Amino acid sequence: MIPEYLIRAFLASIMISVLLGLLSPLINMKGLAFLTHATFHSLLFGAVLGMILGLVFENLGLVMWAALIITVVVVLTIAELEKKGFTPDAAVGIVASFVAGLTVLGFGILYRVMAEKPYFPFSESIVSYLTGEVFLITLNDLLTLTIGGALIFFLLLLLYRDFLYISFDPDGVESYGGSVRAYLMILYVMVGAIGALIVKTVGLITLQVIAVLPGAIAMMTSRNIRKILGVSLFLTLAVELISLITAYLTDIPPSGIATIMLGAIYGVLLFRR
Amino acid sequence: MEAVLAENVEILYGSYKAVEGLNFKISEGETLLLLGPNGAGKTTLLRTIAGFHKAYTGRLLVFGKRPEDARELISYVPQSHSMNELVPLKAEEVVSMGIIYKKGFFHFRIPEDAIGRAKEALSFVGLEDIAEKHFSELSGGQKQRVLLARALISSPKLLLLDEPLSSLDPSARAEVAAVLGKIKREKNLTMIITTHDINPLVEIGDRVMLLNKKLIAFGTPQEVLRDEIIKGVYGPLARAINIEDRLYCITGDVHLHIKGEHP
Repeated sequence: MIPEYLIRAFLASIMISVLLGLLSPLINMKGLAFLTHATFHSLLFGAVLGMILGLVFENLGLVMWAALIITVVVVLTIAELEKKGFTPDAAVGIVASFVAGLTVLGFGILYRVMAEKPYFPFSESIVSYLTGEVFLITLNDLLTLTIGGALIFFLLLLLYRDFLYISFDPDGVESYGGSVRAYLMILYVMVGAIGALIVKTVGLITLQVIAVLPGAIAMMTSRNIRKILGVSLFLTLAVELISLITAYLTDIPPSGIATIMLGAIYGVLLFRR
Repeated sequence: MEAVLAENVEILYGSYKAVEGLNFKISEGETLLLLGPNGAGKTTLLRTIAGFHKAYTGRLLVFGKRPEDARELISYVPQSHSMNELVPLKAEEVVSMGIIYKKGFFHFRIPEDAIGRAKEALSFVGLEDIAEKHFSELSGGQKQRVLLARALISSPKLLLLDEPLSSLDPSARAEVAAVLGKIKREKNLTMIITTHDINPLVEIGDRVMLLNKKLIAFGTPQEVLRDEIIKGVYGPLARAINIEDRLYCITGDVHLHIKGEHP
């Protein structure tokens, strides 16, 4: 008999793999790894803020929404700074530093609020946002992940070619009547939304690795977009499921296993080149 | 109606004047060759006419409209090496970019008629056999011709080309120049071409503009490519010489030549 929590973890891993498997090649082609890291760091600040609000209003369902809203605000701010003439690196660097400072401040406030509410049934742990707790995913979490993930998946699929085109030649898209700014905004928000949906499951640190490495590995193996997507999807799914099974059997955190596996595959391919 | 009209145009980056003193007009169907040393403002002027760079003063009109309102009439052809070749697009997909953005926001699939037109455009530039090849696998000359096909598919009235011959070997330059000649003969488009090397483009230039942060000279090739004018831009070693009925302009390591008499 397979435990229910393991089934939930498997289903969550499949949805995560589909989303990140599709997104990862785009992050590599568009050169968004730095932005992705900054965005995902803002998730931590969102989670801290969400926990403070969740404790104050006694509703921990606010955590994911706060993380999502903060992340969207962060990506929109980065996009606005780029529009004002900052280079993408500078825009990301400025916002990421500011968010890091706010996160530290947030932790201080969170501990004070936690101290004032010692008897509140505290099922959330801020550490889960760093390392992930896929085995603790609830039915509600899974439902949110499935519905939100499906919406993002279809939007990502519909706009995939446009995202490729703005990665290839943004001036060209603009010149022929497309709105690069609109496509970029949607892509940035999608990166943030995907992060917000799955950060608690895989953890911030692993999220950064899974968002970048499968796409990078896939691009090393093929120049055909269908094959790149296929390899990226398969690799993300395989690594997620193998790490889940290994974690179940050995009690080693699955996020750590996934990160090491992807790093090793990338290293081997790099060495063979 | 003039294809491009500039009156007292100054192009700005913040408070810095990138190019100033621009007064010129180009008639429909004419080809302007835009010359000047590195950093002279050629690409800046081209991007301003294309409507990408909006910080300018004075009056700048493209077919009677402000550049940003005339986007449908303009095709901008960037340098082929500015494309992000990590993105694995086929030649026909690159060309289709020129048409699909006229309709809709989502482009999950390229419509069949767009693919058909892309193949026609590729055939016009002599690349009917490479539609399925990836852009990154093409030679420099082929890449430039694919970008020309992409520009043509949108049926523009004004074609802006940024250094279409740069980083190409002599045979590829000749190929691209031949396609530009064909465009001029068969499509009657207005073209503005920035170049360091006027040599392969000499047959198609109706006007020449010499730019060095301001307009130095504008007129027919015979009027502009004169010793005293070229020396003002490229230094005292630059000169124009006439060999076998062709005018060659020697500008440091760049040699410009043109048919006609030594001034």
